[in-house]
Amino acid sequence: MTEPTQTPAAPDERPIVSLRDVRRDYALGAERVHALQGVTLDVERGDYVAIVGPSGCGKSTLLNLIGVIDQPTSGTVEIGGKRVDDMSDWEATSFRLYNIGFVFQRFYLMPILSALENVALPMAEAKVPREERRERAAQLLAYVGLSNRERHRPSELSGGEQQRVAIARALANRPTLVLADEPTGELDAHTGAEIISLFQRLNADGTTIVVVTHDEGLADAARRKIHMRDGKVVDGSA
Amino acid sequence: MRTTLAQASLIRHRARTLLAVLGVAVAAAMLLDMVMLATGMRESFRELLVSRGFDLRLAPKGTLPFDTDATIPGVAAITSVLRNNPDIREISPVLGASIHIPIRNREGEGQGDVSSAVLGIDPTVQGDYEFLSGRDVTTPDAIVANDYLIRRLRARIGDTLAVATGYDPQTRTYSGQRKLVLMGRARFVYGAADQSAAAVRRETLEAMEGQARHDHASLFMIRVRKGADPDRVREWIETYIPSVSAISIATAIAQVDQRLSYFRQLAFILGAVSLFVGFLLVTTLVTVSVNERSGEIAVMRAIGVSRAHVVQQVVLEGVAISFAGALIGLGLGLATARYLNAILSAFPGLPMAIDFFLFQPSSAWTALALLVASGIAAGVYPAWRAASLPIAESLRREAIA
Amino acid sequence: MLLTLIGALLLLQTQQNQPRTVAIDESFAARANLKVGDRVTVSSRPGADDFAVMTATRTGYTPIAAAPETVLIAAIVRRGADPSEVARGDFLLRMHLDQLQQVSGYGDRVDRFAIATKPSANIGQTVNRINHVAFGFRAYRSRDIAVETSRTFQVVSRFHRAIGVITIVASSVFLLCIMVLKVEERRRDIAALRLMGISRWSVVQSIIIEAALVAVLGSVLGVALGWAASLFVNWHYQALYRTPLAFSMVTPPIVALAVSLSLLLGIGAGILASLRLVRTPPLVLFGR
Repeated sequence: MTEPTQTPAAPDERPIVSLRDVRRDYALGAERVHALQGVTLDVERGDYVAIVGPSGCGKSTLLNLIGVIDQPTSGTVEIGGKRVDDMSDWEATSFRLYNIGFVFQRFYLMPILSALENVALPMAEAKVPREERRERAAQLLAYVGLSNRERHRPSELSGGEQQRVAIARALANRPTLVLADEPTGELDAHTGAEIISLFQRLNADGTTIVVVTHDEGLADAARRKIHMRDGKVVDGSA
Repeated sequence: MRTTLAQASLIRHRARTLLAVLGVAVAAAMLLDMVMLATGMRESFRELLVSRGFDLRLAPKGTLPFDTDATIPGVAAITSVLRNNPDIREISPVLGASIHIPIRNREGEGQGDVSSAVLGIDPTVQGDYEFLSGRDVTTPDAIVANDYLIRRLRARIGDTLAVATGYDPQTRTYSGQRKLVLMGRARFVYGAADQSAAAVRRETLEAMEGQARHDHASLFMIRVRKGADPDRVREWIETYIPSVSAISIATAIAQVDQRLSYFRQLAFILGAVSLFVGFLLVTTLVTVSVNERSGEIAVMRAIGVSRAHVVQQVVLEGVAISFAGALIGLGLGLATARYLNAILSAFPGLPMAIDFFLFQPSSAWTALALLVASGIAAGVYPAWRAASLPIAESLRREAIA
Repeated sequence: MLLTLIGALLLLQTQQNQPRTVAIDESFAARANLKVGDRVTVSSRPGADDFAVMTATRTGYTPIAAAPETVLIAAIVRRGADPSEVARGDFLLRMHLDQLQQVSGYGDRVDRFAIATKPSANIGQTVNRINHVAFGFRAYRSRDIAVETSRTFQVVSRFHRAIGVITIVASSVFLLCIMVLKVEERRRDIAALRLMGISRWSVVQSIIIEAALVAVLGSVLGVALGWAASLFVNWHYQALYRTPLAFSMVTPPIVALAVSLSLLLGIGAGILASLRLVRTPPLVLFGR
């Protein structure tokens, strides 16, 4: 089995994720929804954090802010020592491409591309040469245990397999951080367990992971659990 | 990768893509036809004028060549004035008239007559007909005719015809009659297919027409020296010979343009409408396709695909549809143009060589360029809108859906 | 009666006692800068700076050169709505018959006589009777002559009909495309309705009604647009060709054709697309 392809941990002691008094308000019709009400949080390099809490507590909003696909109403967000809360769209896009890997509940693979092409997609965007792209995508698929599924379309793969392709895609550009939103939400218990162990292996190989989940098994597998309620972190202990 | 994505996305909805391509093809065909109509007449008229190599035409003041029966008096004097300009290489005076040729059956009984237009020319410098067979009007009693007239006369080369320039229906008598020998066949370039036309030497026609037409011409055709500016010669002629209008190819085209402006305007309006409808079609298709994929697009944006690249991929789809449609439309357009041209070629008096719809590669390129440009324009807005949606919001909505 | 003249108008402000009067058409007045009350000289021999006025088809006469005559412009007239004159650049001068005969040197000749018959007369018989006794001329029905002289317009209207058919075919394809796409856009709503337990037929019905409504609304808008366009077209070409002819008319049959065609196509597209969608399982429509 091939080694995971994330960057080796730098001798940097600063937390990889650092949020300070982050608030996020939405307009919902005439009302304002306070999705996050002053969250302060650090995630260390190489950590594996699970954010848990009831629906609507602000877990996904928090994950979106860490993933630089949303911006806070107030407060600061630093990823890898870099302020990301006031980035322009172009800067944020480029930052996501090279630093963050996403895994979604519903996999969101491009239905028209093969497994290999799906994994290669972020590399193509990063202008990795075609040959290297193919080679690395194949390695990543091997890493998630799908060597024999390279040419298959998502519709020809099971839910667990699709999620493993999505994880391989998240690792494509050797991100510093992998974020997952309910990665086992669409899977049965057995397949979910496979994904959980894959995440554990990934973390053991040095990848920093933040997951948002309702899945007890997945949360328990993490090194640290963060409990949220009503837009606040209520318990950030391990 | 973007090409793969665009291609795959089009293939994913085959029926829909096919329908849109068909729609664009129809728009492209219309557009091509209208581009052909807008430029065809002018171009084929220009080719017609240029084909015989004469750069200027002198008509009686204020008229177009053969537009009226007015004539220019003093051919000899005008010719000698024209000879003073060293830029003028060749002068061909033409006298137009109508002739009546009685036809008789084998028993010699009269069977009415055939009337025709006739040109009095000098065969060595004429630019009105292409000589086909037999002999040209080298002798004073020779006449050449087009096939249509020969058919109507039921005559053969070598036949002697009694040709008259006048007929008085009251007394049923012919005037200016003369026996001419049908020497050859010719194709009159400015004549319509169903118009009789003949040519004799100018002296012959003048003699038949009598004193009133002596030394008269309906038209002068002028060839200028290579390298000389026809417009300067034109100005020179109008200064020194005030009784004529000198018409260069450009002004003749402009005048025809003005008379047939209706067709150009029609072409412009219909072309614009088809372009707009094609645009609408591609916009609708791309919008539907993008709305369907809002989740997919949000995910692409989340994993770091730039807004510009998302737009490129979507626009590529629009362009591909436009391009495929344009290719099919090319064939369709050529077929309909041929059909429409056949209708318009029945215009009374239209020279055979004039086409309303003239295919030029530039027409096809223009139509293609317009369509592809509208395909791009049609794709850009919906694509940009889709790529600009807040990612988190789109993903949340997608999850709820 | 309209007579034509080979000749030209010489602009001359000569004084003469009691000149006879003529009428000229608008475009000539505009071009030669003439107004009512101006005096001009008419002649059958054109000079250097003259305007050539409307010409006749020569029938073999050789006009005898006659003395020019000065006339008074008494009226400026607008030409009648004669399709065969549209797009011709001719100028027109109306003068008294004897005067024209004299100026043109035609003598006591005319190009044609126009004859009005009594309402009860059998025109065919009258024409035959005239032709039976005619010497040197022939009688025709006005209708037959009109057919002969309007060949240009027959060609143009044939062309218009062809363009019309092509446009109808093209817009049918467009309409079908757009309606199918519009229904396709509703696939999620359709899936939701089907999941709620609404029957296929109800879904198809609602889509057809919606498509029909869109088609009717669209065609009403289209008719309004067409009507406005025809106003503009008439205004433009009437000014361009100086004629009261109507170039474009929105008639009830055309409106009926446009509305019913779009309704038909709208419903057709609705049925086509909705049947395809309701046959697909709702979850597939959701993209799962």
